[in-house]
Amino acid sequence: MDGAVRAAAIEVSGVRKAYGEPPSVTVALDDVSLAVAAGSFVSLIGPSGCGKSTLLRLAAGLEAPDHGTVRVHGVAPREAAAAKLIGLVPQSPALLPWLSVLKNVTLPRKVNQGAGKRRARFGDLGAGRPPADPMDLLRRVGLGDVAHKLPAELSGGMAQRAAIVRALGLRPDVLLMDEPFSALDELTRESLQGQLLDLWGELKTTVLFVTHSIAEAVRMSDVVVVMGSPGRVLDSVPIGLPRPRDPGLLGDPRFHGYEDQVRVSLRHAWSATDDA
Amino acid sequence: MTRSERVSPRRPVAARGLRPAMWLPLVVMLVVLGAAWTWGAQRFPYLLPPLRGVGATLTGSPAYYLKNAGVTLEEALGGLAIGFVAAFAVGVLISELPVARRAVLPVAVVLNVTPIVAIAPTLVVAFGFGPAPKIVITALICFFPILINTATGLRSVPPQILQVYQSIAASRLEVLAYLRVPSALPFIFAALRIAFPLSVTGAVVAELTAAGSAAGLGTVISNASSMNQLAVVYAAILVLAVMGTLLLLLVTIIERRALRWHDSSAQS
Ligand SMILES: Nc1ncnc2c1ncn2[C@@H]1O[C@H](COP(=O)(O)OP(=O)(O)OP(=O)(O)O)[C@@H](O)[C@H]1O
Ligand SMILES: [Mg+2]
Repeated sequence: MDGAVRAAAIEVSGVRKAYGEPPSVTVALDDVSLAVAAGSFVSLIGPSGCGKSTLLRLAAGLEAPDHGTVRVHGVAPREAAAAKLIGLVPQSPALLPWLSVLKNVTLPRKVNQGAGKRRARFGDLGAGRPPADPMDLLRRVGLGDVAHKLPAELSGGMAQRAAIVRALGLRPDVLLMDEPFSALDELTRESLQGQLLDLWGELKTTVLFVTHSIAEAVRMSDVVVVMGSPGRVLDSVPIGLPRPRDPGLLGDPRFHGYEDQVRVSLRHAWSATDDA
Repeated sequence: MTRSERVSPRRPVAARGLRPAMWLPLVVMLVVLGAAWTWGAQRFPYLLPPLRGVGATLTGSPAYYLKNAGVTLEEALGGLAIGFVAAFAVGVLISELPVARRAVLPVAVVLNVTPIVAIAPTLVVAFGFGPAPKIVITALICFFPILINTATGLRSVPPQILQVYQSIAASRLEVLAYLRVPSALPFIFAALRIAFPLSVTGAVVAELTAAGSAAGLGTVISNASSMNQLAVVYAAILVLAVMGTLLLLLVTIIERRALRWHDSSAQS
């Protein structure tokens, strides 16, 4: 398909989501619309509490919006989830402490085994793709030697890589990541960013990626979506940097230009928060 | 030192067990207790029998104590097994259905604070003088701690793990089998560490209160004390203490094997 009519993998339109009962209602999302093109890498950035995680939960079908619609490949997120089109990487690795890394990564295959048939309905999205070999994926991210260890024996970075492999092992068409690297040190973070970009380039999934780091958003994304409180999309910054994006790019003046652009948008988000 | 203890608790503990610093305090304690007992037995002959007397009755008729211990153990384990199965089933039910939780939990709490042994005489009328009423009482006593811990454990899966599996549409049964039950195991073992010794207490108390019991260490105790055979009373109590300790040891060993992954078992 050519760029202009690329189908949206995730389509959010006019979504509102509030929590709590009338006297103390928290509006998490207020009339949010967003389209994530299939195969693209889109980051969400914005002040704490502006509804980024909420948006991700809606896209994963974990919750339903109060108003508006969320569509994943044209169907309700729950249907997409039932076909295992969605992979979720939460902020903590969320590995099962009693299973080895390898078993943690392969358990998702055992559950919901009817997904394959449902997936066939989505045509070439999933049917043509064999699931990735988990051991191979683990080796690719440097976890080959610890595949049989328990999660408690891993460092934070290793555990987070295992969580990413768990999500990618099913070859999801949409990968939802909520600040997956926020608990890691700077260098580990940069190396995991590189590994994720490599895997993404190869597996061709759509990624919706929440982050608090401007540099991370710019390095990873095709588009950086800036959100502000209460729960609004303020800006959408396309990143025209070439790929593959090596760490060397971080010193490039164009890189800094995009960073500044996102930073200015974020400032507006912050001042809007102060007014509220 | 504390660090290495945590990481690999077993070998160092075994090695240190041979050093005097590890076993001497206990030996001293036992000697002191024995001396105090002997002194007390001379001072208050109606309260404490001489230790030699206790030893004599145990070595004199071991078959008698073993047979009665077997009866009590059967009642205890039978009651525990029934209580466990019931508590686990109800625990799963109330963790899956909020409606069931609201209906069952208040009743269970009231049941727990009710002195169950008070119904023992009634149960004897209903079930006769055999082991049945004791098993029922033991099951009732063990039910509550297992129920509460099972229900708590089944709900202890971190939300982010649940979300990962909900995002691939895992069924409730799959979530239960792969996530909830394994998460509940440490809680269930904690309950069993209470329930195993408790089951012995339950069986003995049931024997003591259910008049006309035929056998069991509780019956031995009540018969011997009515005939003022202090040595027999204390011999039976000693056998019960050993039995409770062995059961506790058994649970701990099984727990160590089943929960190798779990921190709390590595630290205890
Ligand atoms: N389950 C919930 N119950 C009540 N309020 C909630 C719930 N989930 C989110 N909220 C509220 O909705 C708002 C948005 O929360 P959300 O977690 O989506 O923010 P966020 O952008 O992910 O923040 P952060 O960057 O800190 O992770 C917050 O004000 C939060 O308090
Ligand atoms: Mg968040």
